[in-house]
Amino acid sequence: MTLSLRQIPRPLLLGGLLIGASLVLAVFPATFAPYDPVAMDYNALMHAPSWAHPMGTDNFGRDVLSRVIHAYTIDMQIAFFGTIFSFSFGIVIGALVGYAGGLADTIFGRIVDAVITFPFLVLVIAIVSVLGPGLVNMYVALAVVGWVFYARIIAAEVKVQKRLDYADAGRAMGYTPMRVIFRHLLPNAITPAIVYLVTDMALAILLGSSLGYLGLGAQPPTAEWGVQIADGKNFMTTGWWISVFPGVAIVLTGLGFSLIGDGLAEVLRTRK
Amino acid sequence: MSLFFLRRLIQLIPTLAFILVVVFVLVRLLPGDPTSAILGDRALDADVARINHDLGLDRSIPVQFVLFLKAVATGNLGNSITLKLPVTTLIAQRLPVTVMLTVMAALMSLVMAVPLAFVAALRRDELADSAIRGTFQVGLSMPVFYLGLILLTVFGARLGWFPVGGYGDSFGEHIYHLFLPAFTLALSLAAILMRNLRAAIIGVVGAEYVVFARSKGIMPGVILMRHVLRSALISTVSLFGLSVGTLLGGAVITETVFAIPGAGRLMIDSIYGRDYPVVQGMTMALAVVVSLTFFLTDVVEAWLDPRVAR
Repeated sequence: MTLSLRQIPRPLLLGGLLIGASLVLAVFPATFAPYDPVAMDYNALMHAPSWAHPMGTDNFGRDVLSRVIHAYTIDMQIAFFGTIFSFSFGIVIGALVGYAGGLADTIFGRIVDAVITFPFLVLVIAIVSVLGPGLVNMYVALAVVGWVFYARIIAAEVKVQKRLDYADAGRAMGYTPMRVIFRHLLPNAITPAIVYLVTDMALAILLGSSLGYLGLGAQPPTAEWGVQIADGKNFMTTGWWISVFPGVAIVLTGLGFSLIGDGLAEVLRTRK
Repeated sequence: MSLFFLRRLIQLIPTLAFILVVVFVLVRLLPGDPTSAILGDRALDADVARINHDLGLDRSIPVQFVLFLKAVATGNLGNSITLKLPVTTLIAQRLPVTVMLTVMAALMSLVMAVPLAFVAALRRDELADSAIRGTFQVGLSMPVFYLGLILLTVFGARLGWFPVGGYGDSFGEHIYHLFLPAFTLALSLAAILMRNLRAAIIGVVGAEYVVFARSKGIMPGVILMRHVLRSALISTVSLFGLSVGTLLGGAVITETVFAIPGAGRLMIDSIYGRDYPVVQGMTMALAVVVSLTFFLTDVVEAWLDPRVAR
């Protein structure tokens, strides 16, 4: 069954456009950015938005628009690396736990309980504080905490799937449990985890920029939205544009991902 | 009901035990090394040995765990390295600020979400519904530090309606100082609550018992308050419990933006100052707040819907 353009839910279409544009900027920032994002121009310090600098310049004379565009590369990377490890570990562990049931399931339940009692951000911040600030350590921290949520979704789904006829058929054919789990059950159980993945990308961008703002994520002078907002926070009354425009980019990208998530969920609901 | 209360109270014990394990693992087993984090890379060997000994890091892991449990049991969470105060004292000073901020934010989000959810649900798919949902969708994508910074600039620095930081000295001043930060924090929770409540109201309005009540000629206002609100509130309470972690995480950032002397701000400052015992203590304290909130929301849920307690 193919969807014609008119059948695609509007949130999905709008989200797709936003994220599509973000990806293009993330891959080809230099094509669209008018200036070098780290080049300082001491003749243009704190200039308000103008034709030469549509989003103004910051206190070092760097072009804000160029920094916002180059930050797409970093922040889209955060959306990807901030979620993909959680997703990969989570679905594998969730599928195994869901299939095994029993003791594995009980232990897993305890782990879930333990992790959800910690405020997610606080736990991630605490881990980053042990490992040291930086993007790589942030990805590690996100993976250490985040896999639990994917595993919970997949485990619940696999528990249902493994009782269905096709799972019995696979076992009757003499397939190994691993083959049944990963070739048959997982593909049928994965859809809700993918919907969650898209929503989680929005959360990863919010979290990544928050850590950047706090000085625990991307490090200056890297152009990253959270870092940029932190750079401009002391100039809010004299040069609002330094912080305000990067924030708009965060909102648009976060909105894009959550609209795609909502749209996907809607499509899947109507298909059922 | 009292049996449920007791059973749920007992369930708190393993949860609190797990919090201890996670906090312990966090500091000892992760590849980072607290001592070098405290002292930096160019530390003298003698200093490293001294700090290792002070923190008990020169013992074996099981021994360390027992010592850790003993210390926690006697109410000793170590001393702050930079502030030279017991971590428990710092928690007692700072945590109430964070809890007050969070409670204010929770109340504000209810005040925003409940009436707007009714409007959106009863005017479903009309302009009002789309406007409310669209606004909240954008609000949900807005990071708290960004929203906070903008509100602080506009209503604090520019218009001067609110203070630009601090906490004040009296209860009234606390509320005044925390108003903007709490509003900042409330918006994203209000968005989540509104979305859920709207769906719940739409579900309940079509339910048979509501149709029946309406056919008996009971006034719509009474139906809304007595039947619809009550049953829609049940799912809101449980969602509320689940969101408290997010709310506290947001409080950490909000406190940093608004310079509020709470637990979150202290935690971030301690990370910059490499003050390990404080980071560990605050992480633990915030997790305890979450598990107590889970407990409370479970009890409230059981009170609203006795079927939960069975």
